Amino acid sequence: MRNIFVRESGNYKTSYVDDMKLFGTTGEKVKIALIIGLVLLVPVFATNYWVGLLTLCVISSIGAIGLNILTGFTGQISIGVGAFLGVGGYTSAIITSTMGLSFWISLPLAGLITAIVGGIFGLPALRLKGLYLAIATLAAQVVILFIISRWTSVTGGTAGMVLSRPSIGSFTFSSNISYYYLSVVILLITVLYATNLLRTRVGRAFLAVRDRDIAAQIMGINLFRYKVLAFAVSSFFVGIAGALLGHYTMIVSPELYSTTVSIEYLAMILIGGLGSVLGSILGAVFITLLPVGLGTFVDMVVVYFPDLYSLLSAFKEFAFGLVIILFLIFEPGGLAHIWLNIKKYFKLWPFSY
Amino acid sequence: MKNNKKLLWMLLSALVVLVLAACSGDEATDSSADTEKDEEATTSNDGRKVVIGGLWDLTGATSDVGAPFAEGAEAYVKYANSKGIEGLNVELTGKDYAYSIPEAQKLYQEHRDKAGAQAIIGFGTGDTEALRQQVAADKFPFVSGSLSESLKNVEESPYNFLVAASYSDQGRVLLKWIKDNHKDGTPTVALLYNDTAFGRSPVEDMKAYAKEIGVDIVDEQVIDVKATEAQSQLLNMEKKNPDYAIIQQTWAATSTILRDAKTLGIDTQFIGLNWTTGEGLFDNVDAATAEGYMGALINAMPSEDVPGMAEVKEYIEGEGKKLEDINAKFVQGWVTAKIMVEAIKAAAEKYPEGEITGEQIREGMESLNNLDLGGVAANVTYGADKHAGTSQIKIGVVKDGKWEALTDYISFED
Repeated sequence: MRNIFVRESGNYKTSYVDDMKLFGTTGEKVKIALIIGLVLLVPVFATNYWVGLLTLCVISSIGAIGLNILTGFTGQISIGVGAFLGVGGYTSAIITSTMGLSFWISLPLAGLITAIVGGIFGLPALRLKGLYLAIATLAAQVVILFIISRWTSVTGGTAGMVLSRPSIGSFTFSSNISYYYLSVVILLITVLYATNLLRTRVGRAFLAVRDRDIAAQIMGINLFRYKVLAFAVSSFFVGIAGALLGHYTMIVSPELYSTTVSIEYLAMILIGGLGSVLGSILGAVFITLLPVGLGTFVDMVVVYFPDLYSLLSAFKEFAFGLVIILFLIFEPGGLAHIWLNIKKYFKLWPFSY
Repeated sequence: MKNNKKLLWMLLSALVVLVLAACSGDEATDSSADTEKDEEATTSNDGRKVVIGGLWDLTGATSDVGAPFAEGAEAYVKYANSKGIEGLNVELTGKDYAYSIPEAQKLYQEHRDKAGAQAIIGFGTGDTEALRQQVAADKFPFVSGSLSESLKNVEESPYNFLVAASYSDQGRVLLKWIKDNHKDGTPTVALLYNDTAFGRSPVEDMKAYAKEIGVDIVDEQVIDVKATEAQSQLLNMEKKNPDYAIIQQTWAATSTILRDAKTLGIDTQFIGLNWTTGEGLFDNVDAATAEGYMGALINAMPSEDVPGMAEVKEYIEGEGKKLEDINAKFVQGWVTAKIMVEAIKAAAEKYPEGEITGEQIREGMESLNNLDLGGVAANVTYGADKHAGTSQIKIGVVKDGKWEALTDYISFED
């Protein structure tokens, strides 16, 4: 019987199978079980307000993991996430509200259709890199939003469309808590998929493309195929997040998917940590909760200076920007790297170097 | 190692902010999470409390009109409390959402779950429409600065109420006025609006109505709500040479349009919907440029001598200010809050026992019949299948740097 507190020290792996194990030690299995248990227990001790906020965090995490597959794993920058969220949301709205089909059909379809749209807008990635690709994806943002707000007969134009919460049989996910569980389950599947993706041939090809695409091509990786695939896989999760968000807020409208949203998602993965699944989640939670935290801070200050409310509200934007700049300067590795450092610190204590 | 410490500090400070947020969250929720149970328990009539959540735009794209609107709404609730509201304690907790819909959604959850609100006063069209499903699910009556026609649909938005003529109705009144007052031939009209739910809201309805009464809509131009330059759009419009141009913007973009129209020497008569009218227009253009500009007035200017303005004056002077310090959008906020408080009052009369719920306030609102607003705004009447209070507006014109009403409250249906 191995002690569950035993940690790996050194590399004693003797086979590739050993090396590929997702949960190498019993300790790791216990840790994962504890984390999942904790996440599932949140609604028991958190208030309705916090469950609502955490649901938003969970949904953003799914989208951020999606974007990280593209930007963090494959190194293709995209500023079109906002619009892809919109494609997911609108697809689900059209399938459930207009065509009257069930949410359980529309959710995967929203992912698939967003994947196709994402793949199409990923085509320029073969020829374009870096800044040029960023502008090409920005075009996706503009084009998609233009279509959504003008194609009134299908999308309802700027007024948007209404959706309803999903249901199974007679049970409807109308409460915050039930929707939280629904989102968490989908997030868990996403995390499992993204973590495993890295262990496959496709995942390794993504990393190779990111590190040096010419070298990857020489090794026999079909650049075109894998770049478009990365766009499609990434957009699939963004689309799922969009559909979940749409059914959560019960409305989709073009103003919900502006360029600001795209930038916010990019900020999530930058602050969280590029190429890290844990980082995507930490970043999504951070970016979603930061305005709330700042808002609460303003509320506390306003108690003493009641006249300063509008000034401080404007200051919130400023603080938001400042935090992002500080992160980029002091910790480009993101929250995931900070977490790693803390872990290392305790692991090596008192003999850290 | 030094670097590591720095990182830890940063992490800690971030944590502190979030933990503080969490703490204050828990304090407040104790009361709101249990409201449902408390509602049964407390039956004493005194100290019944109704919380109204406010979603204000103090720093966003439309803050030019959003800030005075918020100020006016908060002022009325303060005034009404000082006068007593059926022994109720009405509290309005408003916060800034900066005209961003995701923020409005978070803020709405905060009002619902933390502050325990039973009714909401919102502001923008985008956020009001985005929240209409949620307020229907949560059963919170919702009045708003937005007067979008789509909120009239009682089936789809059963808890939204319009406090004044909808944008579409305003547009219809203006088109009818144009038709009635235009001298020779068929009048030609251009529409200038922004690419938001707010801007596009009345466009289709106005086009349909224009066709019906025989006015030609010859051109449409999209001008951003924050535009500081509109010459290219105005030059495009000038090619069609319309007799009139109807503007759906706020003060900022309207003054841009008027200024650039003067620069280009365009002689079209500009007419705006309610968010373009008011004193704030003169902040960005001089009175000479604005001279002759017309617009839809859904409420009185502070300078107007109407009976309903007495209470505004009383409040303002109590605060040590003058009527000149406030503007028409302050009055609009005041009226919006007043209609909500009247609904709460009606609900409190009908249900003298227990805490007041959103459903009861909705009933109260629907029972308001020809509510007299003392000329500050058109009287409103609601009903179970009629959530638009009125379709009447005054048409005003700028004369010598001041707004003057050309008509009394009129509707396109008269």
